[in-house]
Amino acid sequence: MSETLKPIAENNQEQYTRHSPAQEAFRRLLRHRSAQAGMIMLGILVFIAIFAEWIAPYDPIALIKTVKRREPPCVHLLGCPKDKEQHIFGIDGNSRDLFSRVIFGSRLSLQVGLATISFAIIVGGLIGAISGFLGGWVDNIIMRIMDVLMAFPSLLLAIAIVAVLGIGLINALLAIGIVSIPRFARLIRSTVLSVKELDYVQASRALGASPLHILFNRVLPNAISPLIVQGTLGIATAILDAAALSFLGLGAEKPRPEWGLMLGEERNSVFNAPHLVFFPGIAIMFTVLSFNLLGDGLRDVLDPRLRGSTRG
Amino acid sequence: MKHKFYTFMGIILLLSMALAACQPAATPAPEKPAEPTKAPEAPAEPTKAPEAPAAFEGMKVEAPNCDYGGEFKSIEAVDAKTVKFTLCYPDPAFPQKVAFSVFSIQDKEYLDANGGDSVKMSDNVNGTGPYKVKEWKRGDSIIFEANPDYWGEKAKIPTLIFRWSEQSAQRLLELQSGTVDGIDNPAPEDFATIEGDANLKLYPRPALNIFYIGFNNKIKPFDDVNVRKAFAMAIDRQRIVDQFYPEGSRVADVFVPPLLKPGYSEGQKWYDYNPEEAKKLLEQAGYKDGLEVTLSFRNVVRGYLPTPDKVAQEIQAQLKEIGVNVKIEEMESAAFIDATAAGQKGFYLLGWTGDYPDATNFYDYHFANANNLQFGDLFPDVVEALKAAGQTADEAKRQQYYDTANKLIKEYVPMIPVAHGASAVAFKANFEGAHASPLGNEYFAVVSASGVDQLVWMQNGEPAVLWCSDETDGETLRACEQVYETLLAFEVGGVGVEPKLAEKYEANDDATEWVFTLREGVKFFNGATLDANDVVATFVSQWDAKDPNHKGRTTTFEYFGAFFGSFLNAE
Repeated sequence: MSETLKPIAENNQEQYTRHSPAQEAFRRLLRHRSAQAGMIMLGILVFIAIFAEWIAPYDPIALIKTVKRREPPCVHLLGCPKDKEQHIFGIDGNSRDLFSRVIFGSRLSLQVGLATISFAIIVGGLIGAISGFLGGWVDNIIMRIMDVLMAFPSLLLAIAIVAVLGIGLINALLAIGIVSIPRFARLIRSTVLSVKELDYVQASRALGASPLHILFNRVLPNAISPLIVQGTLGIATAILDAAALSFLGLGAEKPRPEWGLMLGEERNSVFNAPHLVFFPGIAIMFTVLSFNLLGDGLRDVLDPRLRGSTRG
Repeated sequence: MKHKFYTFMGIILLLSMALAACQPAATPAPEKPAEPTKAPEAPAEPTKAPEAPAAFEGMKVEAPNCDYGGEFKSIEAVDAKTVKFTLCYPDPAFPQKVAFSVFSIQDKEYLDANGGDSVKMSDNVNGTGPYKVKEWKRGDSIIFEANPDYWGEKAKIPTLIFRWSEQSAQRLLELQSGTVDGIDNPAPEDFATIEGDANLKLYPRPALNIFYIGFNNKIKPFDDVNVRKAFAMAIDRQRIVDQFYPEGSRVADVFVPPLLKPGYSEGQKWYDYNPEEAKKLLEQAGYKDGLEVTLSFRNVVRGYLPTPDKVAQEIQAQLKEIGVNVKIEEMESAAFIDATAAGQKGFYLLGWTGDYPDATNFYDYHFANANNLQFGDLFPDVVEALKAAGQTADEAKRQQYYDTANKLIKEYVPMIPVAHGASAVAFKANFEGAHASPLGNEYFAVVSASGVDQLVWMQNGEPAVLWCSDETDGETLRACEQVYETLLAFEVGGVGVEPKLAEKYEANDDATEWVFTLREGVKFFNGATLDANDVVATFVSQWDAKDPNHKGRTTTFEYFGAFFGSFLNAE
């Protein structure tokens, strides 16, 4: 009896305790189905990335001289003879353990996603905020530049930037970051435009707050939630773009275990060694899916207009 | 408001006018150069017609002396059907050299009309071969049709189509699905698939090539012979051949394959794989804490290197074991070749496929060629041995010179010989006469299949032009070989030399004078009859740097330089 009573009592208390909007949103997020799935998948990924050294049985770039290259997977549980070494994803085209490479690839992909989007959010956010807040000809010029950037297909623009900067992972990151800037700039600008006309901002202005104070303390905090949603979804796109660049040989340098590079290198052996493209492909899909699910959940949770539907 | 609207409309109008102005201007542009090419050609025929029955005026081009550094002393049309080459020094390999498709014979008038411009000549191809060019759809395909007036045995299949894809998987897929009838260079790992398929047939191509890892002795740290030696010991060549080459390939110990004798040194071994010793050598050279180098290569599949990026990574991983960090630099094919030849790359993967089956073709281009800076400075004693070997007719004596050269090359390590790669072509099983040539010059006129009137061939790349005097790329040469003919030619699918446009030839005792007698009744596509002046003009267009037809595509005439030394009148 006492056990069933306790939660009710807590519940009653909760109704009266004040939660910050962030806490409130987080609680809703935990209850959201697709966000749950996304977070679990992402949790696994982060775990793998952090503990890659202990999970991966082999060095991802060292040759294993005892096996034939492109050997299919050998899993003892599935009937592979015990006297053979176990390689659960098989051997890649340079006689390296594919499982270890896929595991280490998670590190690179998460880093790529986070780094490019942080860059894009900071630069794009600043540009958008300035543009929306100042308005007038500044706004006009900045937004026209953003329009021009957006007019290019993003991957093509990224390829062009890499071509100018030179091949390499850092340059690829920079390129993807630059390509993602306009999306965030536009987003922030539109929210800033609507927020700055709100009464509390007018009140702050009437009280004599400096424009910088208003921008950073009044306007931006209230424009942050769409940014979080876009950012999460943007990470997924960034990871895909980075994989695409590496696939084309413009991103990560060999022999780095990058999923896109692994796909690109072995695309000719789709028919005679399908495991070599299957596993990195699945890994990319898994990562992108986890960010997309999480992003969807975040949008549902943070958008007040959709809030009613998520409760049920 | 209205004012703004009008300005806007005005701008749109201006823009559209600019666009409209650009377009029609662009279309007639390619037409224009085409017209002048045709124009001089038309009068060329009538001038020729009355000339032929009249007394034949033979051309003769002669070098004032032999000090200019080339092989030719003079080229002379003795009479309408006889050409005489006089050489500055003996050249036993001369027949093999003139049989190479770069020295195909062109009509003199046609050559003059186009100023020897390969690109112009590709628009309106004029040759003597079993196939004519019907249409070249750039970026897509080349369509050949059988030449009805061919002097010899006519092509068996009326239409021949060249297509290309650099993806070996795509080539195989198209062959399996039946959209093409023959493919070049299937990937080694697909050999078993092809052999297991009753509808397909694999034709192994004997190895007449070398894959090597080159060094430039003027670029640090490869200026130190101990570093080069250390690398030579640190690379497990056997493992590379076992892992990345198809059956029939072999580990290379000297620069030429065993097929070439004299040239191949029986019993000479390369450095054994020995990473410990390599480490020691590196330490002695002062690289105790390891070393950073860049390995350049092009990701182009050749018979000598079936999986370039895999081999590059293998070498990277192997060198890591002796503490050398390798950065891999993948380059565009032409840029890579230019950069290595100009001596800008210190450490690179490259290879060579024999053009004519003689050791001079391998050695002289690489180690006795002052124009080729790929290994940095030449080694004078190697040059001396190779030059002596190239001018000796006696085989045993020649072999001795090559043995000396091979020993010196091992000592200096300008490159690490890795493999002689076997490769293959694959055809549908019902095609008769299909073959793989060790020289890479498959000859499609002899291929036939009952009830088939079209042969589609898919190779690695698109030909650059369709007149090959100034070309080195095998994909380009193979297309030219269907259309043009040389004085002598290689046997179909073999390396022996047989008569082609020349019925017979003879040399004097010390191999310095070569006389060729031309075949009767050979007609070019434009109707002109082959005569001795055509032969002289064709050779002179390459030999004489002052000749108005000395143009080609890049005006480097790399093969001529490699085969015959310096140009006449070169600056």
